[in-house]
Amino acid sequence: MCDNNSCGSARPNMKPVYPKADKYPEFAKLVDEEKSQVDRRVFTDEEVYQAELKQIFARAWLFLAHDSQIPNPGDFIRTSMGEDDIIVVRQRDKSVGAFINSCPHRGNRVCHVDSGKKSRGFICNYHGWSFGIDGGLRGTDGGVYDKDETFEKSEIGLPPVAQVQSYKGLIFGAFDPEAPSLEEFLGDFTFYLDIMLDNDQGGTEFIGGAIKSEISCNWKFPAENFVGDILHASWTHQSGAQAILGGGVDLGKRYDELAFQASIYGHGIESNLDKVGNTRTLGYPDLVDYVFDLSEKAKDRLGEVRARAIGAVSSSNVFPNFSFLPGQNTFRVWHPRGPDKIELVVWTIVNKNAPDHIKEQYRKGVMMTFSPGGVFEMDDGENWEYSTKVNEGYMTRQQPLHYALGVGTLDEERDLPGIVHKGSKNEANQRLFYSRWAEFMKYDNWDDLQNSKVTLPQNKKQQWSD
Amino acid sequence: MTILDIAVPFSNFSDYADALTERLLTQRLFAEARILDKEGYEEWLADFIDEKIQYWMPDMETRRRDDVRGTFCYGEAAYFDDSIKELTIRVKRYNEPSAWADNPATRHVHLISNIEVFNTEIANHYAVCSVFENIRNRNMADQDVIHGRREDIWKLENGVFKLVIRRIFIVQNVLLSKNLNTFL
Ligand code: FES
Ligand SMILES: [Fe+2]
Repeated sequence: MCDNNSCGSARPNMKPVYPKADKYPEFAKLVDEEKSQVDRRVFTDEEVYQAELKQIFARAWLFLAHDSQIPNPGDFIRTSMGEDDIIVVRQRDKSVGAFINSCPHRGNRVCHVDSGKKSRGFICNYHGWSFGIDGGLRGTDGGVYDKDETFEKSEIGLPPVAQVQSYKGLIFGAFDPEAPSLEEFLGDFTFYLDIMLDNDQGGTEFIGGAIKSEISCNWKFPAENFVGDILHASWTHQSGAQAILGGGVDLGKRYDELAFQASIYGHGIESNLDKVGNTRTLGYPDLVDYVFDLSEKAKDRLGEVRARAIGAVSSSNVFPNFSFLPGQNTFRVWHPRGPDKIELVVWTIVNKNAPDHIKEQYRKGVMMTFSPGGVFEMDDGENWEYSTKVNEGYMTRQQPLHYALGVGTLDEERDLPGIVHKGSKNEANQRLFYSRWAEFMKYDNWDDLQNSKVTLPQNKKQQWSD
Repeated sequence: MTILDIAVPFSNFSDYADALTERLLTQRLFAEARILDKEGYEEWLADFIDEKIQYWMPDMETRRRDDVRGTFCYGEAAYFDDSIKELTIRVKRYNEPSAWADNPATRHVHLISNIEVFNTEIANHYAVCSVFENIRNRNMADQDVIHGRREDIWKLENGVFKLVIRRIFIVQNVLLSKNLNTFL
């Protein structure tokens, strides 16, 4: 480094670094809103992928944990934000901190386990620097720095995720100190999140543990699938539906009247409002009864429409990569691991006040359907892998992809928040997901992002309390 | 009857079964593997699986040695926690021509080894430990390999050994495969 006496006279600046976003107008153009088509480079190109990590995953609010996973001070879980390894830990004042899981000395990973209870802190295996649950440096092995005046302990720590906030039990983090509040980021999409998070007094919890698996696909294929692709269900999942229900996927008798897609800032949900279609696929009659009763009771809390959505044939994705299925009660994150790989983490959510046997049936039901050995999920992975892999062909990846189902089905009448389209068999939400993606590529500031012409619903200011 | 409690993994067995029983159960495990390799799932259910089967494969967590919770726990996330009802549904899916993850067919090998057979406190119930390597290959070059250990209870009834308990402990934390389109 240097070989004279001035060396080391300036101290390291150990303040956490939160880089500013950039603008990638060329990448934004890969989404052609006019023609409802998407350029395959969004799934394959390494530069596009690196831009995603910077523009999307280093800025957007990303799901970290459910409150129930870390109830007590010192309880922690490890997760990812994009490709960054993150520790999420409950603080003594009951707030939640999230930190980059990398020692500021040589960068070694500090925490190697999936989760822990009542931890007092984290000690790096390399040279023994230790950190409190607030991320701050507590000491070093043997106290070797204690008499060193240049060692500014107070400035050193695990780099914190700039913002951590929660919504009805779900904890999110954002690296960007400038990001608007979580509620602003979600916008009126909270109306739809409440279908799962607030259909019963007492709130929700995650069942312990998580199933993790690797799929060799681009992260956007599963995200766009959950944001609004019920189209695939009757074909891809014919085998699973046949095995469990003895028939095809049923979209409900009142499909034409009730089914819809809604999108807000790229977050999306599609539902047939058929009450129990998704729950039925878990294969336990008791669960169907439970959801019928719940739906009846939930009318007071949620109103007629959302009460019908609790167990309905439906799916949802919170931009960018946090998905869930009402009725089947699986929540999951598709962590990017390169343009052609993801790590999928799957949890089961239940109402805290649900009887034990109901919780147990949800746990088993998710295992039967939406886990690696599940009769539905098995056939999804195969599709997403080949949708990704086939683009290794140079000529193949020059060919456009078609996203035009339901163009012209905008529903301006429907009394629901968001950009609403008629019918759930539609690709409207997927188009809006990619529009949001393009906005993150195009804009370097939140003012533009939150006032976008395309993904911001015009009815933003309306109130949706039933 | 702790040996029939799915939630309690084997502790130390020392009472080895006699040579004939060991031979018969070893043959049984190999025959089972051969049936699974050829995707004979209905045959597997009918000939090898007891009506009271408890078939459990927990999620293996990475936790510190001093974490009292251990690395897996019955009642938490799992890949399988099946009774005959759930196994039957899974088998039904395999029989559908539109089970796309299995059409074209997957090529399977189940390698079974380290077999140990013990008597238990219940007559005609044998504890069998084994390890497996499961290889699945599909299409051109898709290959998934899983290793793990199994703890079985096999019950001898009317001259036939049937599986009543199977615990499957794989060595992976993140399943390094897109799916689990097999039984282990
Ligand atoms: S890298 Fe962590 S103490 Fe040196
Ligand atoms: Fe699917």
